[in-house]
Amino acid sequence: MGDENSTLSNAEARHLLRRTGFGALPRDIATFTGTARGDAADKLLAFRPQGFRPSGRDFNAAHNKWIKSLIKPRSPLQAKLVLFWHDHFSTAIAKVEDVGLMGDQITLLYREGSGNFKTLVKDMNRNPAMMEFLDTVRNRKHVPNENYARELQELFTLGVTDFAGQPNYTQDDIVQIARAFTGWDYDRRSSFLNDDEHDFMAAFPGRGPKVIYTTVGGFGPAGRSFTVNGEGAQEIDAVIDIICQHTDSQGHNTVARRIAHRLLEYFAYPDPENQFADDMVATSGFATSFEITPLLRAIFVDDRFYTTSAPAPFAAGTKKSVKWPVDYVVSSLRLLGMRLKGRDQYVDGGSGRSIFDQLSDMGQLLLDPPSVFGWDWETGWISSATLLARFDFARDLTSARGNGGTSFRPERLMDLGLTDPTEIVNAVTDVLGVSDQLTSSERQALVDYLTDSGTNTSIDLNDDTVRNTKLNGLFALVMQSPAYQLH
Amino acid sequence: MAITRRQFLQRSGAVTAGALLGPSLFDNLFVRRALASTIGDRYFVVIFLDGGNDGLNTVTPVTNGGGTLRNDYEAARQTGNGGLRLLPGALAGTLVGNDPNTGAQLAIHPGFGDMIAPASGGLKALYDLGKVAVFQGCGYPSYSLSHDQSRTIWRTANPLGLGTLSGTGWMGRYLAQNYAALDIPGVTIDDSVAAEFRQTATSVLAIPRVRNFGFPVDDFAPDDQMAKEAAFDALCTAAGMGLQPTDAYIGNSGHATLISTQSYPGLHSLYVNDPSRKVFNDQYVGTNGLNTSTARNLLEIAKIINGVNQGVPNVDARFFQLANGGYDTHSDQGAAATDGQQYSLHQEVGNALKVFHDDLADMGMIDKVVVMVWSEFSRRINQNDNGTDHGSQGPMFVIGGAVNGGLYGNHPNIAAAALDDDGNTVYSQDANPFRSTDFRDVYGTILKHWLNMPQATILSSVLPLDTGSASDYWTVQNFDLSFLP
Repeated sequence: MGDENSTLSNAEARHLLRRTGFGALPRDIATFTGTARGDAADKLLAFRPQGFRPSGRDFNAAHNKWIKSLIKPRSPLQAKLVLFWHDHFSTAIAKVEDVGLMGDQITLLYREGSGNFKTLVKDMNRNPAMMEFLDTVRNRKHVPNENYARELQELFTLGVTDFAGQPNYTQDDIVQIARAFTGWDYDRRSSFLNDDEHDFMAAFPGRGPKVIYTTVGGFGPAGRSFTVNGEGAQEIDAVIDIICQHTDSQGHNTVARRIAHRLLEYFAYPDPENQFADDMVATSGFATSFEITPLLRAIFVDDRFYTTSAPAPFAAGTKKSVKWPVDYVVSSLRLLGMRLKGRDQYVDGGSGRSIFDQLSDMGQLLLDPPSVFGWDWETGWISSATLLARFDFARDLTSARGNGGTSFRPERLMDLGLTDPTEIVNAVTDVLGVSDQLTSSERQALVDYLTDSGTNTSIDLNDDTVRNTKLNGLFALVMQSPAYQLH
Repeated sequence: MAITRRQFLQRSGAVTAGALLGPSLFDNLFVRRALASTIGDRYFVVIFLDGGNDGLNTVTPVTNGGGTLRNDYEAARQTGNGGLRLLPGALAGTLVGNDPNTGAQLAIHPGFGDMIAPASGGLKALYDLGKVAVFQGCGYPSYSLSHDQSRTIWRTANPLGLGTLSGTGWMGRYLAQNYAALDIPGVTIDDSVAAEFRQTATSVLAIPRVRNFGFPVDDFAPDDQMAKEAAFDALCTAAGMGLQPTDAYIGNSGHATLISTQSYPGLHSLYVNDPSRKVFNDQYVGTNGLNTSTARNLLEIAKIINGVNQGVPNVDARFFQLANGGYDTHSDQGAAATDGQQYSLHQEVGNALKVFHDDLADMGMIDKVVVMVWSEFSRRINQNDNGTDHGSQGPMFVIGGAVNGGLYGNHPNIAAAALDDDGNTVYSQDANPFRSTDFRDVYGTILKHWLNMPQATILSSVLPLDTGSASDYWTVQNFDLSFLP
């Protein structure tokens, strides 16, 4: 049994860096190997919650600015955490249609993503991009619009059902919460309550008292009133306070369990055990504090977090995660020491297509998740179309010619004096961080490729033709391999 | 400039353009042409209206008949600014007959009857040809108002959340019964595989555009291309044989993708270079064409069907999926105005289906293709300010040359007193006059009568019956709805 004092092996350090950032760079692996898990987690979590704003004259420009920042982030973990929250509080520019409002929301996630979850949700209630996306600005007293009230519970906090499959809220709760959110609007990016459009109880006595969770949530048949602090603007904060006290059919804090579970899905592995989530909540005190940083620290020091770093061949029960397209793109660039070029941020080789178009083909455009549910993770990322988009990107990277940091320069990554095919394959898979993630038959397929099935057993990587075909091809093939899609 | 595989093959002289349609570089022995033994020469297309299509303004009561449907409708849908009421005059061009239960005259949304050239009349024109079955009031027990939960229920056909069906789509379970691991029977026209197809027993593709579906070629090393593809295939085969399911899934997907990149891109030129097809190509996307996402996606399906029909090697997809988004009309839904949200959506789907129908008819394939249209739920009976919130049962459409067109099922009871506490219509399997149609009866009829799956197999492996009260649950199947012969 390991704990926060256990020291990280080389493979564990690489795993931690890969999951909390974008690709594990050799110098970082060296720094973290031999460090205690707790110290490593503290170091990763020590970032200052500085804001970053993906801004620009249009969607494309803002998207590219964000991608560029991910390649050289101030804190990889902060950046990766923001992507989690961007998916969690999924808001799409396709409906918001305002790049400035979207930029503000992302800045909010950078500032508060590692802070207090309750504060984050309360601020999201008033976030103009969110108010546009889920129709809070169209929620009027006469006919409350249920959109935000529903997704607030279903997606941002409670979930439709708890771990035992029992419902966490009813349609009545949605309608009542929608009343709390009536009359909100925003102006010059600060939101406010327009009393004239707010549903005051006295004006709508037929709708009953503003009480929620009379049949669920562990509040008893009286439920809980969200007018405890009076009616008006304060109601929407009261709603969040009540939601965060909701207990599920097994007596656990519903929000704490679900957020821990989702963070495990993101940082650890798909379909994490319920016990894993409960343990993380218990050791971090998240169910009372709702502080995100201690919850993350609990995850990064736990034995179970490190189980999926096991080498190939993978056992049937090893829960491997599929890299997000953004992770695939950014970690590949970082591992190869490359940058994107120009305003369009394109790879200077192959197709010459912009990173915006390439990520669109891979199925993930930042600022524009496909729906309020965010992206479909894991095998949802994988299809023939998205695989080809990844493969195109790999081809583009390895065929990038030119000068400086936008070209592919394998001589800076490995020793081109190597002549033994097996050693060359080892060097390339090491650069790309999958040296222990390939089976012997996959490794053999790469050796066969390099040697033309054993025809050429001594390889001269300094020969331009060999380098342009076989060495570049080897890098591309590894990035196209099934194992490289996982992490 | 990007080099496509086709350009590469032409430049390198490896093969002539015509040979693109010949044997694959890596012959896939598993892609069988033996489908005639199971389904004959048939195809099945599913179109998902994403967001929850408002059923009440999709099949709308124009009169009361012997009941109160029109009165109830007018109580729920207002006139004036933001009002969603469709007036009888606006519905006069899209009448579809009388409700079997109440006798009320019904009409489909005027957007379905739009006369935009070249589709000439949209879905209504197909209805008048007797090629459209309209199913009213389709749903499932204990409806969910969550988009995600409800669309998962429709895609998995698993309303009760049975663990045995977990992680598989209803089409996926059908495919798993009939196809082997390296068959490629299905295509989603999108970046990702539709959840209906989900399973791990056989390969399905996601192809946004067949023309661009090529494996990447390195311009600097064209002579090395075959070696790269062989190595890639070896990597995928190794992963596909592994124990870890995600790794194996990616391996199998990679293999199917590689095989298909050698055969699918040629389907584009096969289609557009055929003068008979080019006429329709122009209707889907040409300057005077529809050029909507639904039309463009149906065009891709037409290219694939054309390819299968002409015997292109390693192309044998029979099952297709596409989605059209934008139906979550909480606000600004629009009534009969031609620039309204729901109007535009219906116009897009109806017109695209009409061109698709005409194209298939010209290919001589119209009797071989069935299209099913669904949405995850209908919307609230009473409108809000200028839109509608989430609701329960709604209509489905099944379209095709072999389809017996007409109205099926009963219009839901929308009288205020008949709605549940949340203001939605109620699912019922009683023999009452407003009995709902369970969507699984529509699926089951297609599986049994179109895809020739034995009823016992459908019930045991694709659509197991619910347990529960016979009034509130789907405990008795009816896979013999008469819309298919």
